[in-house]
Amino acid sequence: MHPFAQVLLDGIFTGSTYALMAAGLALILGVVKVVNLSHGAFFSLGAYVAYLLSVQGVSHPAVAVVLAGVIAFAFGVFLGKSFINPVRSHPFSVAVGSLGFAILFEQAAQMLWGPHPVSIGAGPPWAAVSGIFVRRWGAVSLAASVGILAALALFLSSRWGLPLKLIAEDEEIAESAGMDVEKIRYLTFGFASATAAAAGALLAPATSITPTMGRVPLILSLIVVIASGMENVLAIFLLAVGLGLLSNISAYLLAPQWSYVSLLTVICLLLLLRPEGLFGTVPGRDY
Amino acid sequence: MRRLVIFLPVAILALLLSCLASWAGSENAEPIRIGVLAPLSGPFASGGSAFLQAVTLAAEQANSQGGVLGRHVDLVVADTQGRVDIARSEALRLTSQEKVFALVGAYLSEETVGVIEVAAASRSVLVVPVAATAEITDHVRKKYERYRYIFRVGYSIPQWAGMVADFLGGLRIARYAYVGAGIRWNRELAKALRQALARKGIVPVYETFYSPRNPAFEAVAVAVMARSPEVLVLGDPGGNSVEFVKRVREGGALFPILSVGGALGDARVAATLPLSAPLYAQAAAWKGASAAATRYAEAFERRYGYPPVGYSDTLPYDAAMLLFSAIRAAGRTDSDAVVTALENGAFPAVAGTYRFDTSHQATWGTPELHGIVIRWETEGARIVYPDSQAR
Repeated sequence: MHPFAQVLLDGIFTGSTYALMAAGLALILGVVKVVNLSHGAFFSLGAYVAYLLSVQGVSHPAVAVVLAGVIAFAFGVFLGKSFINPVRSHPFSVAVGSLGFAILFEQAAQMLWGPHPVSIGAGPPWAAVSGIFVRRWGAVSLAASVGILAALALFLSSRWGLPLKLIAEDEEIAESAGMDVEKIRYLTFGFASATAAAAGALLAPATSITPTMGRVPLILSLIVVIASGMENVLAIFLLAVGLGLLSNISAYLLAPQWSYVSLLTVICLLLLLRPEGLFGTVPGRDY
Repeated sequence: MRRLVIFLPVAILALLLSCLASWAGSENAEPIRIGVLAPLSGPFASGGSAFLQAVTLAAEQANSQGGVLGRHVDLVVADTQGRVDIARSEALRLTSQEKVFALVGAYLSEETVGVIEVAAASRSVLVVPVAATAEITDHVRKKYERYRYIFRVGYSIPQWAGMVADFLGGLRIARYAYVGAGIRWNRELAKALRQALARKGIVPVYETFYSPRNPAFEAVAVAVMARSPEVLVLGDPGGNSVEFVKRVREGGALFPILSVGGALGDARVAATLPLSAPLYAQAAAWKGASAAATRYAEAFERRYGYPPVGYSDTLPYDAAMLLFSAIRAAGRTDSDAVVTALENGAFPAVAGTYRFDTSHQATWGTPELHGIVIRWETEGARIVYPDSQAR
C-alpha cells in the first residue's frame, strides 16, 4: 500500500462528490440567481429513495437514480414555481425559506423513516492497482460528476442552452426576446434538484443515510460554486477536486480537524484575492 | 329518638371519613411527573430519540402495572437539541414551570454538566443514563450535600475503558488504533483506554478524532491502515461510524473493529456491512445475556418494530425503572427519601443489578453489572464477552 498515493486518489474522489452537488447549485445560482439552501435535502431524498428501493429488493443504482431524479424534479418544480419564483427578488427570504424547506424535509424524514442511520450494502472495493485501492463509490462519483458536468457544458454551449445563458446574462433581454423566463427558472430549479437527488441515490451505498446527511455536502458544494464562479463548468470541477485533495491531504498529514480549517482558510484567501470567483470574470465598467 | 342519637354521629363520622378518603384519593391519583431531557433534533437526534423510546417504554410498562405508588407516571419531554444552553434552560423549565418530581437525562456529557446545576439547585433527583464524563460524579464526591440528588446509571469513562480493555486483553493483541468523533467523552475515553491498556502492555499506534462537519473519512481510514493495528477501536456511536467502517473495509483492511456501541449495534445496519473481518460492538445489555435483557429486547421490538442496540435505547429504560423502584422503596415522592433509597438499595434491571457507590456511580464492571460485547456474523449477533456469557 502507498498511503500518500491512496490519499491523493481518494482526494480526487472526494472532490468529485463536491462537484456532483455543485453542478446543480451553480445552475440555480446562475439562472435563478438565488442561494438555494434546500439543495442538501434533495441529496438526502435521493439517498432515502435508494434505501427504500433496496429494502424492496431493488438494488440497481440506475433505478434509484431515475426514480429519485423524477421525484426530486417534481418537488423542485413545485418549490420553484410556488415559492422561489414569487420571492426571488428578496434574497434573504429565499435563503430562509429554502432552509426552512430543508428542515421541514429533515423532520418529515425523521418521522417517516426514523432518526436512526440506515444503510445499504457498499460491496467490495472495485479494484486494487499496485496496492492502491480504487473505491467503487469514489469511482462512480468521479464518473458521474464528469458525466454531468460535461453534459451541462455541452448543453450550455448548444443552441438549446442559449435561453439559460441569456437569462443568466440579462433577464430583460431574454424576456423581450419572447422567452418564458419564469418557466425556464422553475424548470431549471427542478432539474438542479433532480441532479442533487440523483447524486444522493448514486452515493447512498457509500454513506450512512440520515435525515441530516445533506448538510455537509451542501456547505462544501456551496463553497465550491461561490469560490469558482458559476460560469465555468470546468472551473467548478477543478476547484472541487482541488479542495477534495486539500481536505484529504491536511487530514492525513496533520489531523482530521485540520481538514475543514485548511479548506476554509484557502477559500477565504481565495475570495479575498478574487471576490468574483477564481475563474469568474470581472464585470466591465459601463461608464 | 334514641336510634337517631346513635345513628347521627355514625352517619356524620362516615361522611367525614368518606370525604377524607376521597380527598386523600385525589391526592394519590395525581400523576408523578418525570422530566426527560434528550436531543430530539440536531446532530444527536438519533441517540436522543432512542433515549426517549426507552423511557417511554418504561413509563408505559409502569403505568400498565398500576403506576408507581398507585399513581400514573407522566413524562414531560424536553428537546435539548444537543446544546448545553438549551439543555440547561429546558431543565430549568421542567423543574420550575412543569413542576416535575425528577429528571432523566441528559444525553451528552456537555449537556448533563449544565443540567446537574439545575437539579442541585432545585433539589430534584436527576438520573443520568448515558453521559459518561467524570465531572458528573466528581461533583457528588466533592460536594455531597449540594449534588447528592445526582445518580449515574450508565458507565463512567474509567469503567467503560476498563470493560473495553478487559475484552481487548482477551484478544491477546499488542497494538490498537482509536478513532473517535471530536466530542468530549470520545477524547476522555481514548485517554482512559490508553491508560487501561498500557497496564496490559497494549499500545496505541494511531489515535485521532474527526469533525462531524467534514470527517475526511478516506484520509483517516488510510492513516489507520498504514499503522497496521491489530484492532481498531471506534469511539463514535453515531451514523458517521457506519460510513467510516465502509471506508476502512472498502480500502481492503482486514483488522477487527470494535465499536463502543450505538449505530454499529443496530442489526439493520450491521446486515449491510462487510463481515470480511470481525466486527464487534459493545452494549450495556443484549438479548440472550439474561432473562431480563431478553424480555426487554422483545418488548422493545414489539413496540418499535426493530431490536434495541443495547445502549442509548436500553440504559434510559433502566434509569427510569430504577427511579420508579426507588420511589416505591421510599414510599413517597420526596427527593431526600428517594436519594436514600437509591443510595442503599440494589436494583435489578435489564443490564444487571445496579448499586451505587459513594459518588453515586453505578458499579459497572462487577459480576452483577457488566457490559456485553457482541460479534456480528452473517446469521446475526453472537455474545463474545464476558467469557461467562459467550456463546
